[in-house]
Amino acid sequence: MRKTVLNKKNRLGFIVLFFLLLTLNLQLSTVSHAEAPGRIVSLAPSMTEILFAAGLGERVIGVTSYCDYPEEAKARTKIGGMSNPSLEAVLSLKPDIVIMTTNGNSKEFEARLHSLGIKTYVFMTRTIDQLPEGIRKMGQALDSEEGFDRLASSIEGPLSEYKAARKDKGLKVVFMLWPEPLMVAGPGTAIHDAITLLGATNIAEDAKIQYPKYSIEEIVRRSPDIIFVGAATGMDMQKKSSGLLERIAYLPAVKNGKVFFVSENLYRLGPRVIPGLEELAQYLKK
Amino acid sequence: MYSASEKHILEIKGADFSYEKEKPFIKDISLAVDNREFIGLLGPNGSGKSTLLKLASGILRPTRGTVDLWGKEIHDYSNRDRAKLLSYLPQLLDMSIPFTVREFVGMGMYPYDTLPELTVDDAIEMVGLSSYADSLITNLSGGERRRVYIAMTLLQGAGLVLLDEPLANLDIKYQIELLRLLKDLREKRDMTLIMALHDINIAFQFDRIIMIKEGRILGSGPPETVLTRERLNEAFDVDIELKRDDAGGVYIRY
Amino acid sequence: MKIKFFLIILSALAVFSIALFCGPKWISPMGLSDMDRQILLSIRLPRVVVSVLMGMALGASGAVLQGVLRNPLADPYILGISSGAALIAAAGIIFGVTIFGVFTIPVLAFAGAMVTGIFVGAMGWKRGGFWPDRLLLAGVGLGFLFSALLMLLMSVSSNEGLKRAILWIYGDLSITDWSIIPYGVIFIAVGLAIAFSRAKALNSLMLGDDLAHSLGFSPGKERFILFIAVSLMTAASVALGGMIGFIGLLIPHIGRFVVGSDSRVLIPASALGGGMLLCIADLIGKSIVSPMELPAGIITAILGAPYFLYLLRKRDVLSI
Repeated sequence: MRKTVLNKKNRLGFIVLFFLLLTLNLQLSTVSHAEAPGRIVSLAPSMTEILFAAGLGERVIGVTSYCDYPEEAKARTKIGGMSNPSLEAVLSLKPDIVIMTTNGNSKEFEARLHSLGIKTYVFMTRTIDQLPEGIRKMGQALDSEEGFDRLASSIEGPLSEYKAARKDKGLKVVFMLWPEPLMVAGPGTAIHDAITLLGATNIAEDAKIQYPKYSIEEIVRRSPDIIFVGAATGMDMQKKSSGLLERIAYLPAVKNGKVFFVSENLYRLGPRVIPGLEELAQYLKK
Repeated sequence: MYSASEKHILEIKGADFSYEKEKPFIKDISLAVDNREFIGLLGPNGSGKSTLLKLASGILRPTRGTVDLWGKEIHDYSNRDRAKLLSYLPQLLDMSIPFTVREFVGMGMYPYDTLPELTVDDAIEMVGLSSYADSLITNLSGGERRRVYIAMTLLQGAGLVLLDEPLANLDIKYQIELLRLLKDLREKRDMTLIMALHDINIAFQFDRIIMIKEGRILGSGPPETVLTRERLNEAFDVDIELKRDDAGGVYIRY
Repeated sequence: MKIKFFLIILSALAVFSIALFCGPKWISPMGLSDMDRQILLSIRLPRVVVSVLMGMALGASGAVLQGVLRNPLADPYILGISSGAALIAAAGIIFGVTIFGVFTIPVLAFAGAMVTGIFVGAMGWKRGGFWPDRLLLAGVGLGFLFSALLMLLMSVSSNEGLKRAILWIYGDLSITDWSIIPYGVIFIAVGLAIAFSRAKALNSLMLGDDLAHSLGFSPGKERFILFIAVSLMTAASVALGGMIGFIGLLIPHIGRFVVGSDSRVLIPASALGGGMLLCIADLIGKSIVSPMELPAGIITAILGAPYFLYLLRKRDVLSI
């Protein structure tokens, strides 16, 4: 009986101590990083692209193993994947701030970074529409408004043109990310946004996840007017998708040559969405 | 008496066998079996009875010496041809797979392409299991299971049958029944039976007893002449003696 | 027995047609529209054919394996044979092996299945017999190792496309099209023919090696031949749609209950039963979250894993 009481007391003590340390840490970190952070670790390829495009590339010292754009990003220290970055690798880089996104990074990892006294910035934007605003906010947090502002404006301009020119084209579109097993772009992706923004309909808009494994049968039934096949690093997508396309050769889109192989520009909600939009727009116009 | 041209049904000549190198388990055994003999292979556990039967049935190959079946080296027969002449029933019977009695007994036909003279139901009837023909063997008693094996062997039709301790772990009732069945079948179907046993009680039921210990033959001949007090003592390492009473019964004295 | 077989074939046909006409949406066989016909012919039919072929291969493999190893828990998936096949096939894709042309994936999968089967057999073999617990542990252990190696392969290959290219290995029938079916048919037909022609030997092996010998079979040789049959069928099924578990476990058990233990009947019955089960599992997988899809392997695992645990609980099972 007595023993448990003691234990409880001990535990309580530890908890109090822990919180004390935690608050101390938080204070320390806010104090020491008042000015623009010099060492940035990015936990998402889209964040890496934004950071480089906003001119902070020099300060990015750690990226995920998926960060392959721009070319310089590949040379940065790799800290693991998006969903499973290595805490140790991040710590060993002694970052001033770690940039994360709600789209692919885990809350738990953020909490662990906080508990170790590392400052984070979490990018909350999930749509193309709000991308410029999101970029500006990020610039404020990183104390580098100028570069981010420039980047945001470069997206904002063309974006508002597209929005203004938008009219319902009545076109049904499917964007295939991988042919076999078939994976398509669902709602909540930049691809879906782009399709909608251009006045077309994504036939997979009723899917419940971003990248659903989709029924081929349903594709046939919904008969898209245009089929986009996205690129994948190191893969000949024309060859990869030939089997699938052969099987649905009777679809008007395939018969009429409305299958287009496009780049990976729209895979990430970042600076490349505008060229990505241009790419799709050009095919949707025809 | 038989002439030189007449062949033994089974002849083992100078056979050695070892499971591990340099540790012979069967040592220089020579043995001839004639048609229609009913032989008991007697010895304590680990004396080499099972190994000898496996050598005789071609499952094991002697490291030295030969095993001839009807005058021909047993390993020169094809598996199928040998199976028509000799069958072997192991001591441990695997009865875990739920075959029916009929399915199980029917496997005795496997060495043949044509239907044998005996039908599956005949064989089942001969061992007295007709009413169980469609039962699963997993539901039968130990004694009944042995009889299922015997029925399979009958269907297989081999003249020479080697049985490894067929009476082990059976109640005395089933032991006697099975022994009677085997003797009866031997008469009716002209079979030669060699049975391993370690129970001295039933030794007098055989035409011939072969006593072995530590991989060697201690003696071979009619039970009365082989089962002397000295041999029994040597084989089983304990002072025992077989006595016959006036009514022809046998009992062990120790 | 003939009536039972007739009924099994009848229900198999019923299942196949249900799988054809049901699905995410019901297609009425009366008054097919053009689109319906195209969906039926180019999408559903090949998929039903592949699921039936795979299920047949797995069901028959299970029946053979359980007999050869005298172990009711044997199944190509549980014993790691499927993972072995999948690993070698995936490695072949990642390293760009194309030596056997169109046959490359099935042949590599066959090599993987064969090596794993023999290795598991050797691990489970002690003092002249297979030890059920050793077999099981060896199989499960190897399965773990192979899954880990598969993951290793996937994580060291930085190529995002390649990673996706081997995703089907985890049991996905949606990639099926007519072109891969012939190779699967060849492998499965040969495997089934071998297994069926050695059915008597398989029966005798179930009684133990010594009795098999006595009945005129060479246990070692027969076991090897039957392992080849299992490897061919497992390899074909992995090449067609990746690793699907538990069909080889479930079906022979049900089969024994329905048609008995004689392999000459059990092998064809397990093949048909396996075909039906996978067909149904895939139908469920592609229908319940429509328009999205679940891999059939998930459905068979949900059905099969509890049964496996139930078998494990029955203590006598391990004492064979």
